Amino acid sequence: MTQTKNFKLFVLISAALAIVSTVRLWTNQDALTSSDTIGTALRLTVPILLAGMAGLWAERCGVLNIGIEGMMIFGTWFGAWGAWQFGPWVGLLFAILGGMFGGLVHAVATVRFNIDQVISGVVINLFAYFGVRYLSELVYVGKPGGGISQSPPQKWALPKFNLPILSGGEVAGWKSPDFLGWLESQRWFVLGDLGGISRGLTHSISWATVIAVIVVPVSAWVLWRTRFGLRLRSSGESPVAAESLGVKVNRLRYYGLLISGGLAGLAGGTLSIVASSYYRQGQTAGRGFIGLATMIFGNWRPSGVLTGAMLFGYAEGIKLVASDSITALFLLIASMSGVFLLYAIISRKRSQLLVTLCAFVLSAIAYRTIDTVPESLTQSLPYVVTLIVLATANQRLRPPAMAGVPFRPGEPH
Amino acid sequence: MQAGSAKSSQTLSTESANIVELKNISKSFPGVIANRDISLRVARATIHAIVGENGAGKSTLMKILYGLHQPDSGTISVNGSVTQFKSPSEAIAAGVGMVHQHFMLADNLTVLENIILGSEPTKLGVLSLGDARKHVKEIATSIGVEIDLDLPISELGVGQRQRVEILKVLFRGAEILVLDEPTAVLVPQEVDELFTNLRKLVANGTTILFISHKLDEVLAISDAITVIRQGSTVATVSPKSVDRLKLAELMVGSDLPSHGERATKVGEKVQLSARNLTVIGKDRKSPVQSVSFNVAEGEIVGIAGVDGNGQFELCEALLGLVASQGTIEISGTDVSKLSIRERLNKGLAYIPFDRHREGLMLAASLWENGLLGHEGSLSRGPMIDVDSAKKSCREIIERFGVMTPSELVPAFVLSGGNQQKLVVGRNLAKAPKVLIAAHPTRGIDVGAQAAVWDEIRRSRDAGMSVLLVSADLEEILGLSDRILVMFDGKISAELEPKKATPQILGKYMTGAQ
Repeated sequence: MTQTKNFKLFVLISAALAIVSTVRLWTNQDALTSSDTIGTALRLTVPILLAGMAGLWAERCGVLNIGIEGMMIFGTWFGAWGAWQFGPWVGLLFAILGGMFGGLVHAVATVRFNIDQVISGVVINLFAYFGVRYLSELVYVGKPGGGISQSPPQKWALPKFNLPILSGGEVAGWKSPDFLGWLESQRWFVLGDLGGISRGLTHSISWATVIAVIVVPVSAWVLWRTRFGLRLRSSGESPVAAESLGVKVNRLRYYGLLISGGLAGLAGGTLSIVASSYYRQGQTAGRGFIGLATMIFGNWRPSGVLTGAMLFGYAEGIKLVASDSITALFLLIASMSGVFLLYAIISRKRSQLLVTLCAFVLSAIAYRTIDTVPESLTQSLPYVVTLIVLATANQRLRPPAMAGVPFRPGEPH
Repeated sequence: MQAGSAKSSQTLSTESANIVELKNISKSFPGVIANRDISLRVARATIHAIVGENGAGKSTLMKILYGLHQPDSGTISVNGSVTQFKSPSEAIAAGVGMVHQHFMLADNLTVLENIILGSEPTKLGVLSLGDARKHVKEIATSIGVEIDLDLPISELGVGQRQRVEILKVLFRGAEILVLDEPTAVLVPQEVDELFTNLRKLVANGTTILFISHKLDEVLAISDAITVIRQGSTVATVSPKSVDRLKLAELMVGSDLPSHGERATKVGEKVQLSARNLTVIGKDRKSPVQSVSFNVAEGEIVGIAGVDGNGQFELCEALLGLVASQGTIEISGTDVSKLSIRERLNKGLAYIPFDRHREGLMLAASLWENGLLGHEGSLSRGPMIDVDSAKKSCREIIERFGVMTPSELVPAFVLSGGNQQKLVVGRNLAKAPKVLIAAHPTRGIDVGAQAAVWDEIRRSRDAGMSVLLVSADLEEILGLSDRILVMFDGKISAELEPKKATPQILGKYMTGAQ
């Protein structure tokens, strides 16, 4: 069974690559799959991925976490402070601790005191926003480069690595060849794109990115293969059943929210330590909520969250690296939704048909008529792409059954 | 918690024949005394039934034994030593396992995950799924159960879910098995299977505590019967020394209301009629296929059938909750194109299958629940008329004998029987022309059942037409003027209640005829 599944995946990826490559050559927009774009996309993926995983851990244990944005803010501030004082690694640790503080507050409020989970999350967002502003006033104001809305710049950055021989860089003073870069520069059909994508994923990668990506398989393994994970999921699926079997639901919800907070904090830390070298007010820019969207997109599964986050990161990456490739992106969307449209027609899925048809027509019109994209539209593009994909992705959502429902142990049920 | 450990010395004999002893257990929840000074002795390797009306405190008592609740006072001894279970895991460790009335299963987890949850075989915290699978398969085979361990629970039927529950308890090596209303959800054939399994278990030395209010079953299966009324033990009797009526008397505390023949006649006028009613299902299978019937004024038509043969969809189609083909008429007017609200305004009322899911807002107060569906008459402009709503709820409470401190308490405080009385009362209060009653007395005690039956009869005598959907044959036979049997989406038989016996009905219900 897994073999046919793998085969399907292989066909799907090859088809997608072929479409992208065709569009690239047709429009002459190499930026679509350049290693620059992919590298940027990966960097932009990381915080969203971590935020999505934070949401996943919280909802899997049965608590909605609207407060991810706030926990990320804690992460950016404490991470930047730690990095400014002690270096980037300690900074990341502080970011995690800052996020865990937010997670703990959420846990105490919702698990211990049964405060409404949405309200608690919103309060954490507000509290984080104004709380760190207050802390900035205490700590950063008056320091060189610091102020009420930003921290002094950090002196050291996290080390980065390249894949030797394949993607350039230097190994102990020896300048490695850049095979993938060479492949990319040849612009061959599919092969050139493969070169660009693989180089983007392996060239000048921060170790924080590696950690973030590893979070995905580790979470999947812990949640589905360990006792702790099964019990945590059961707290989200049916706390009453879990309690009746001696599972300490509330304790597990504390753990789940601490992990959720830690991941959100790490997400914030990557923003203030990896993506830039200082804390800035508003640095999270709603990524906590985008993370929650990718969690839903990913059907509350780690691999799904990764897919959603990559998609979003890619759209944003294009926007940053090559905003004139946006029109090519319209064609790409049109082609992709065209394929989905064909699939919908063949398999007679009426609901899918309508949505894909709309996406196809709209993006085709956009490609034919729009030459220069207004700045405001470019800004909103990643959100639009996410929306389209969410609408067209035809899947049966299986959220944890009791996520968001308060649970009071020992009451008559 | 003032468990008297001083008494433990008396019960420490290892040869004690009583595997479970509860002494003077009391437990109260805010506003409700659930158990008052209850004592119970259960002999090893027997089936001990605990019977009582709903709300009598059976479930609470068993939850105390299982560590879900802690008693306010009293002692528990298991295997001769006095214990206090602070949590279910302690009870499980002592060999006490419980199958709950409402299944305690996580729908999105697989059968295997549900079974091993809480006592997972692991190596360094990592699940040993292979070992678990093997062990569960062994247990399942030993009691003759076949089940796919990788399916999510949401894809299983009721009977299979109960098997998962029992496997779950056996997987933990329970030697004392508490079954809370195990037969409430099963059809007769499944009940027989369950009883065979239970007898096998007892032969192997397992002790079973069997909570029920189905007296025939209790008399058939148990070795001893303890009756609980209003939170206290009334008597412990042997099934040989009592009959059904005597047991019911002990439970209710007074003579049962008689069933009796009806004094009034079925009217001439057809008030509810369905013609070729078909419901198209999700996967192109029709749960209801071309069903036609009439219900006359003052008539009760019973629909008998095993759950899942289209009764649920039939009710939803009549009400307008799902789309259907064919015509539905109320008092001669075609309502098949009308909205739910318009149908209700034509005099339709509905007692839903599942009072928790469709009948009540559990966290809302009784008066708010009583208001549902009557907002039109109980409001002034856009505002709810709170005083009238409360007054109308008090009337329902009084007329239908809902036992509650007041109309201000939330619905989850009430026992199942009293919740159901409220739902029934809400629907009958406005004197509807046509009542669709789906399992109107499921999971409620004899007293409440009799009260609900009386109310339905009274409204029927006043001319109300009733479509009664039930899996309880006694209810169908006792109330109906005419019986339709539903099997696989079609009406497989029409019977007269006087000539129908449970055996004949059973044959049609299972498609054997």
